[in-house]
Amino acid sequence: MELFVQTVVSGMLVGGLYAAIGVGLSLVFGIMGLTNIAHGSLMILASFFVMFFSRQVTGGVVTALLLTLAIMALIGALTQGLLINRVLDKGPESALLVTFGLAIIAQNVLQLVFGADYKSISSPFASVNVIDTRWVIVSGEYMVNFLVSVAMLLALHLMIRKTRLGRSIRAAASNVVAAELMGVDTKRAYIYAMCLAMLTGSMGGLLVGQTFGFYSYSGMSYLIIAFGVVVIGGMGSILGTLIGGFILGLAQLLGAYFFGPGVQVLVGYLALLVILALRPRGLLSNMTRK
Amino acid sequence: MDGALMTVEGLSVSYGDFRALHDISMRFDRGSIVSIIGSNGAGKSTLLNAVMGINRKLSGRVVFDGADITSMRTSAIVAKGVTMSPEGSSVFEDMSVHENLLMGAYLTNSRDKRARMTERAYGLFPALREKSGQLATFLSGGQRQMLAIARALMSDPKLLICDELSLGLAPVVVNDIYDRILDVNEEGVTIVLVEQEVKRSLEFSDYSYVLVKGRVVIEGRSDELSEDEVKDAYFGINKYA
Amino acid sequence: MGARTSGIRQIGGAPGPRGGWAARKPLVLAAAVVVLALLPLYASDYGISVGILIFLYMSLGQMWNLLAGYSGLVSLGQQAFVGIGGYTLAMVTQAYHMSIALSFFIAAGVSLAFALVISFPIFKMSGVYFTVGTWIVSEALLVFFRNWAFVKYDAGYNITVAYRISMPALYLGALAVGLGATALVYFILRSRMGLALMAIRDDESAAEARGVRLYRTKLACFLISSVYTGITGVVLYLNITYVKPGAAFGIDWTVCMVFIVVIGGLGTIEGPVIGAVIYVILRQYTYNFPGISMIMLGVAAVAIIMLAPEGIMGAVHGRFGFRLFSTERRPPPGTGPRQYPEDAADV
Repeated sequence: MELFVQTVVSGMLVGGLYAAIGVGLSLVFGIMGLTNIAHGSLMILASFFVMFFSRQVTGGVVTALLLTLAIMALIGALTQGLLINRVLDKGPESALLVTFGLAIIAQNVLQLVFGADYKSISSPFASVNVIDTRWVIVSGEYMVNFLVSVAMLLALHLMIRKTRLGRSIRAAASNVVAAELMGVDTKRAYIYAMCLAMLTGSMGGLLVGQTFGFYSYSGMSYLIIAFGVVVIGGMGSILGTLIGGFILGLAQLLGAYFFGPGVQVLVGYLALLVILALRPRGLLSNMTRK
Repeated sequence: MDGALMTVEGLSVSYGDFRALHDISMRFDRGSIVSIIGSNGAGKSTLLNAVMGINRKLSGRVVFDGADITSMRTSAIVAKGVTMSPEGSSVFEDMSVHENLLMGAYLTNSRDKRARMTERAYGLFPALREKSGQLATFLSGGQRQMLAIARALMSDPKLLICDELSLGLAPVVVNDIYDRILDVNEEGVTIVLVEQEVKRSLEFSDYSYVLVKGRVVIEGRSDELSEDEVKDAYFGINKYA
Repeated sequence: MGARTSGIRQIGGAPGPRGGWAARKPLVLAAAVVVLALLPLYASDYGISVGILIFLYMSLGQMWNLLAGYSGLVSLGQQAFVGIGGYTLAMVTQAYHMSIALSFFIAAGVSLAFALVISFPIFKMSGVYFTVGTWIVSEALLVFFRNWAFVKYDAGYNITVAYRISMPALYLGALAVGLGATALVYFILRSRMGLALMAIRDDESAAEARGVRLYRTKLACFLISSVYTGITGVVLYLNITYVKPGAAFGIDWTVCMVFIVVIGGLGTIEGPVIGAVIYVILRQYTYNFPGISMIMLGVAAVAIIMLAPEGIMGAVHGRFGFRLFSTERRPPPGTGPRQYPEDAADV
């Protein structure tokens, strides 16, 4: 029983982090219909940046993160402005293939520069347990992951819902021509959206890098997690992403609890396929889109 | 009522080998109501998209208020004072009525002006005030059309283009909306009505252009044009087709 | 996708020099096949090994192109069938000590069965969801093989029977597979199904309204592509001689298919041919720096999608009106899917 409670708690905590990994993918899909295959690889790129800057340049994780956020936002803006904005008109497949190419480029550049070894970012919270009872133990690291992720998603949600920039992005997502007629530069709105996705992805990269470690090709595994979150939560819904993250985290750890860790991932994939087949637009697509 | 607010001079638009608009010239006088009448595929949407800077592949000139706006971005054109209520009253469905209006004032930085414009919009269409917190997706067809017009007016335009106001609406509702358009015109806003319906267009406008297959085939003061003449051209029965 | 315009042109009428070329084409092609088949007589072992790779990758490219370029099915999961082919060969020859020939039939059968089964869920997904779904399917298969006692988990197999096959024999096998794939796609495009595919590519909903059975046509393409990719997998692993889940079901296979087709020309039959040659030769030249070649290919693929979405062959068609394999059919007047007077006029 203790183990079950621990599993549920851990599932929820990991789920929060999964939501942070998935939200950027969800955002750009919901806004411009882009399936960003490079999402995971760019996230891992951010992990490498934080690691590199904190070790070689700044000495601290916080300043390294700020530097990384700035660079990743710039990369997002350039990618969107120079590449994706120019192929979006040619159909979703062209844009998807561009991001596919970017993912492969990013992976191989990372491999070339940093090698193929596992890396990690040190975390000050790793060895502290914030909750330590007979029922459940929560490490400071997992708690921080969870809190940062949830706070980030709520902030993003409020930004999209309540600000002028958020409204312009939603307008561009809802009806491009009408948004242009209001004076919104929709291509620029897409750039902002991609920057937001990059910023959330970088945070995900930091947390993942501290908790699980990473190497140059990790991006594709995290992309699958991001897809899982988005498939469950519905593309384009931020709160749906949070729920999707919780469900995926719980499902994975409960799958391991009941079936053993070997098939845990397989159970997860099969569940995703069943969900996709039954609800081709995502499990919570109707519930969360309002 | 003096002089042209906007002129379209020798405008042509092609898609690949297909020429959608042939050498269109039009004049929109200050304070007037001008109608552009044409059936589906006559080139109305192409014309409007060209004027609003949504389609840039054109030749010819569009001059508004003394400035050449031909190659301006849509946002710059809107900022100059031209606005359009798009066809099918395409409102932002997952935004509330109030948020839709705020989008209309997207380029307006002054909070005071936004408040004033919102009051004016709700004053023109009281039904919208009651629904201000509701998502636009739950509005009726007529309310959507009202919202689209109200939203367009939020930018305080000098010229308002209304694309297919009457599309899919009951006649009673259409009459009501047209009355509001007359109110807006009373306030000094120049109006362009783009319609398929001949009779109402002639009745409500000062000047009319009839568009057939991308060409202006008839133009004139609306009270001097006969409905039959326009309809003949429109349906392509005789020499114009 | 960018391929659309070329489809229009193809149906409209043949641009370029058709008369003399059309008459001589069968002879030229036959001569080319003979020259290629005799390659082991005049090329070095290294040349032969490069030839093997080119023709096998050509086959992978043709089959991916049949999906993405002609049926609008962008799959990131065709590596599942490469893996099925490789593992079938390993199980048939190593675990059960039966003949290599038998593995071809079993690989085809297993690929067909697997493709049919997964078609039920993944054909419910459209557009990008299909893309994601196919990828998840093959990742699931990868995890499954790693946890499957029958295939010795993650240990893999040495395919020892392959050691006895001579290079020339393997080359001829690869040649047959590569040219066979090209011929198969050619005949599919010339068939009734090809017409349906052209109509789908031009305008999917219009094609459906005219009675093209979308589901059946796309499913047929998916099954053909999957089975042939499975067969190609058998020959690939006769060449590689060692099979392991991570490599057999890895996304790298799809990366190579995508790069070959995108660089060569999506939705053109010559595209995968050119693409495979470029891909294999580039990888050979940068053999000691595998990362560099993938970066170069990635940059090339992105640049081509941005600047010349129909790839190298699309650019060649556009500039010279040259087509090695003309897949067009002239529809009888009035019965064709669509007439394009503007295009017909400039022939």
